[in-house]
Amino acid sequence: MRVGLVANPFSARDIRRVIANAASLQVTDRANIVLRVLACLGACGVSEVLAMPERAGIRAHVERGIERARNTGDERFAALRHLEFPVTGTVEDTRRAVRAMVAEGVAAIVVLGGDGTHRAVAMDCGPTPIACVSTGTNNAFPDHREPTVTGLATGLAVTGRIPPGIAYAPNKRLVVSINGAEPHPALVDVALVAERVVGARALWRPESLRELYVTFADPSVIGLSAIAGFLDPVGRREPEGVMVELEPSARDGSAGDGAASAGSPPVRVDVPIAPGWLRTIGVRSWGRLPPGSPRTPRLRAGMIALDGEREVGFGEDDEVRIVLEPDAVRTVDVEACMDYAARNGLFRVDEADEPRTAAAFAGTPRT
Amino acid sequence: MTDQPFALGRDQLLDAYRTMKTIREFEERLHADVARGDIPGFVHLYAGEEAAATAIMLHLGEKDRIASTHRGHGHCIAKGVDVKEMMGEIRGKATGACKGKGGSMHIADLSKGMMGANGILGAGAPLACGAALAAKRRGDGGVAISFVGDGASNQGMFLESLNLAAVWNLPVVFVVENNGYAESTAVEWAVACDSYVDRASGFGMPGVTVDGTDFFAVHEAAGEVIARAREGGGPSLLECKMYRFYGHFEGDAQTYRAEGEVENLRENHDCIKIFRAAVTGAGAVGAADLDTIDAEALALVNEAVEHATAAPMPGPEDLETDVYISYA
Repeated sequence: MRVGLVANPFSARDIRRVIANAASLQVTDRANIVLRVLACLGACGVSEVLAMPERAGIRAHVERGIERARNTGDERFAALRHLEFPVTGTVEDTRRAVRAMVAEGVAAIVVLGGDGTHRAVAMDCGPTPIACVSTGTNNAFPDHREPTVTGLATGLAVTGRIPPGIAYAPNKRLVVSINGAEPHPALVDVALVAERVVGARALWRPESLRELYVTFADPSVIGLSAIAGFLDPVGRREPEGVMVELEPSARDGSAGDGAASAGSPPVRVDVPIAPGWLRTIGVRSWGRLPPGSPRTPRLRAGMIALDGEREVGFGEDDEVRIVLEPDAVRTVDVEACMDYAARNGLFRVDEADEPRTAAAFAGTPRT
Repeated sequence: MTDQPFALGRDQLLDAYRTMKTIREFEERLHADVARGDIPGFVHLYAGEEAAATAIMLHLGEKDRIASTHRGHGHCIAKGVDVKEMMGEIRGKATGACKGKGGSMHIADLSKGMMGANGILGAGAPLACGAALAAKRRGDGGVAISFVGDGASNQGMFLESLNLAAVWNLPVVFVVENNGYAESTAVEWAVACDSYVDRASGFGMPGVTVDGTDFFAVHEAAGEVIARAREGGGPSLLECKMYRFYGHFEGDAQTYRAEGEVENLRENHDCIKIFRAAVTGAGAVGAADLDTIDAEALALVNEAVEHATAAPMPGPEDLETDVYISYA
């Protein structure tokens, strides 16, 4: 049983460290997360983990950690093999690695990164499920959870101890197309901004925001999607998304009535669009975004931000379409996996199980 | 809020392009002149890295100071040092910015806030801390920028400067110009903590990494960290990932480069090409305007070379002048 591993060394390095005191997970911390996940996958009996190669330090620290453990007789980590291809230090490394992992038939891909990293993985993983570990900044898509638990849930899921219908959950995505060319997907949000530069990529100035489309609107997360989350919460598993038209010059208005309607007065909401970075956002209107129904933005020219980072520009002559797709990306449902495992006794240890093997959670479900 | 495509207006965009293009022409001319044997001493070229110096310096004023590196021509031009004086200095002429006594690695112009290129790796950082401390004591809102390469960022005095700046909450920004090589050693072989953001975090200051080939990325990030320093928010570290088109020094055989590496950089990672495409593509500036600047930048550099060539060398009577300075 093989599992893929994408650990992005470059996530959480952007300007939000400066303007918002955002977390800055160190490379050594990321390596330690990888080791914790490898330990859990090894405990579940995963035979091999295929990892994305990189030269920014995670690999070196992980291999050092494995060697140190081995020197002390500790063999708890799943076998690790890095894919072999020239490292570019760009998102292309992630995409190439995911394609290689899928070609080698991995049962799931553990992803360490933020929304952007998960988006890159989702572009090429097809039906292969993703196990999400948050090491980015705003991180609406991956839950904030100790990676040990994610590793355990993934290990139990891919080794067949959790029924697939419980272990994996579908997720929506947004797809942006410009003149019918190669589509640009987003897992959480698509934001249209008036400026025409990629710049420092991250968005932290609400003045430039014009339109926002989200796959889910969770008021308990931060980032651009929280704008929709504070107006009209919509869950990850609900069929619809939310679209918001922003009004940067909006003055105080009456509170929103919860439904978009032409002529409704602009409202303002205070939203943490980055960690600790509460900004007042003017909203002209908002409403539900049904799946499969393409939308054309009002903004005629600007930049499209995918999952919080400016990526691609468009001009007045371009035809832009945004559509919400259901059941687009599968993820490991960690909560469901752990709930099932606990209720079915997968963590219980009987004397008959001793001595413990590497596959510590080998027991059949006990009711 | 209007729907402006850029945070900078048309004139500012043209000025930025002029600065970048002047640096490029200056360095390309030096590359040719060194090969001809016209230049005494070592020269380290900034070609390919122009966006960083230009974008950062747009946020600085006369009261702000910079401490440069051995690869300092771009910093000098972007900070406003006279191009003719620079060319004279590099050629060792009496009309040079330092009267021909410093050469390429010691160009300084205190009247412009340029405290000097520096042949000692990492030595600009404590100078910048000093300038920042002075600005803080004066309360004039001045900031200091310490430029350092990825290799020199491992020097002890650079790390000590990070510590001092954090402890004293100095208005200083440490700019790591990460062009991937410390002379001939690739950065991933030589920097233990792997990430400059991690390094900054270790000293309790925020760090940010940007694409140094994207003028607008550097401009945005630099604007935030410089404003933060100016307003009393303390030091920051800004890593600009960039590429140099030439060797560590002129004459470097560059055997550490992959085949076709430089050609790929010039084709796909040229910060001036990227800038030009962005501003013309958005209709903010016409290509003809940029073509005019191209010609003017080339003419300026040619004029500087002619001026420097015709200028006299320092005489024996200048040997002991300007060695010491009186602060009285």
